[in-house]
Amino acid sequence: MNAFSMYVARESGLHKLHPLTKGSLTLLLLVAGLFLPGNWTSYFLVLFLILPLAYWGKIFHNFIRIVWGISLPFILSVVIIQSLFWGKGTPIFEFWIIAPKQEGALFALVSVGRIILVMSGFILFAMTTRPDTLMISLKQVGVPSSLAYIIVTTLQIIPRFQSKAFTILDAQRSRGLETEGNIFRRARAVVPIILPLVLSSLVEVEERAIAIEARGFNSKKEETSLIEIPDTNAQKIFRRILIILIPTIILFRVLWQLFK
Amino acid sequence: MLENIKKEFSTRTLVLIPIAIAINIAIGELVVRLKLPVYLDSIGTVLVGALAGPWAGALTGALANLIWGLFNPYAAAFFYVAAVIGLLAGLAGKRGAFEKESPRWLSALVGAVFVFSLTMFILAFTNATTDDTGFTTYPSMADLFSNYAVIFVVAILIGAAIGYFLLQRGGYAGIWGLVTGVVAAIISAPTAAYVFGGVTGSGTDLLVAAFRASGGGILASVMAQGAVSDPFDKMLSFMVVWLILRSLPARFKAR
Repeated sequence: MNAFSMYVARESGLHKLHPLTKGSLTLLLLVAGLFLPGNWTSYFLVLFLILPLAYWGKIFHNFIRIVWGISLPFILSVVIIQSLFWGKGTPIFEFWIIAPKQEGALFALVSVGRIILVMSGFILFAMTTRPDTLMISLKQVGVPSSLAYIIVTTLQIIPRFQSKAFTILDAQRSRGLETEGNIFRRARAVVPIILPLVLSSLVEVEERAIAIEARGFNSKKEETSLIEIPDTNAQKIFRRILIILIPTIILFRVLWQLFK
Repeated sequence: MLENIKKEFSTRTLVLIPIAIAINIAIGELVVRLKLPVYLDSIGTVLVGALAGPWAGALTGALANLIWGLFNPYAAAFFYVAAVIGLLAGLAGKRGAFEKESPRWLSALVGAVFVFSLTMFILAFTNATTDDTGFTTYPSMADLFSNYAVIFVVAILIGAAIGYFLLQRGGYAGIWGLVTGVVAAIISAPTAAYVFGGVTGSGTDLLVAAFRASGGGILASVMAQGAVSDPFDKMLSFMVVWLILRSLPARFKAR
């Protein structure tokens, strides 16, 4: 199955954790990094929690490469824009019209920490969790199975749609559609590609709807699953603690803001 | 109310949503490949809103960004914006914006008002002056009009031409798209400013830099960047959906 996901298969303790444990941990990391007061919280979390976790998951090198690749454009942008165009402030040095400000550089550094935190948190979760096991575990805690159906199906059909779009692009090109040249020419190519893509996909809707109804999609009986997801009592307790911590941190930040 | 929401999520809607999300991503990538300065990555979301209703549209938007987030965490942070886009598309659909044909003069008027306000907005920003205490003053409308009369006239003409030739008879869908774009720009700005330091990591950052250089605050600059790029993008998306719905067989829409 060629599914749309970043999952990297490895034999590691992190991979073996229950998907919901990893999910709540990721959520807690994001909330902690963005809500706890202090400028450097997010750096701290990345260095002392996310990186060791990635190492434990045996994906360290891949992980660093992907996080770096995704974050780099944001980091460059934020450092250049916020330090050079800060407005009033103390200049670090002045050279012709280039005068980065201290305040701007500080803001940029804080933002870089948040950017890396958000990117690495999500990617760590995506790289160590199989989408189908995530869906099954969500179903087990009471998420409607129709929602699970939507997410699993989406992950499966995205690669097919991507290649379909480029097939249509090539087909229209071979009929003489111009897809290069100035911007107006390229813009004119959009509708002849989008319309066939969307219309042919909508035709599928009917067939798919009949197909899944014929297989008992609307059945009210309780479902069973082919894949068993290992869970331990320790993890259940750990998850509960994580989930209690999330609103606690947000509440703490609100109170901090009020009584500072 | 609950009954209505349930009715929106028929089996056909549930099947349509994954396809719509895949359309979002496929077209979004195609546009990048064609090197066009728009996103067009919410066509599927708008389509579900128009065909199934506001709640289905909102769910599609949120899921689309969260699933895309498995590859691009930046998109996941804006899932609530995508949900609002789907919701507004659904409301537009309920009002018949995707079925009615507008007279072409109305499309021309919409285009003119849009480009006019965009121009005013950008000029107000680039002519702002910051004094020594860091207080930013924006020029008065009257000053702008007298100083840039020619530019405003040209802007109105260009806008009217865009409306007349591009929007054609899809004026109602176009208006809804513009409003949706403005709303999206406003609600996405706080996240962009706080979590991502005000940048998008793409070409539109040049706009953020320009607004920052002319004295705008971080939040204001991000919002201004969104206000320049989002409404046009969403107007195009709504237009494309309007075109699609016109080419659909009537029996498909009936359900």
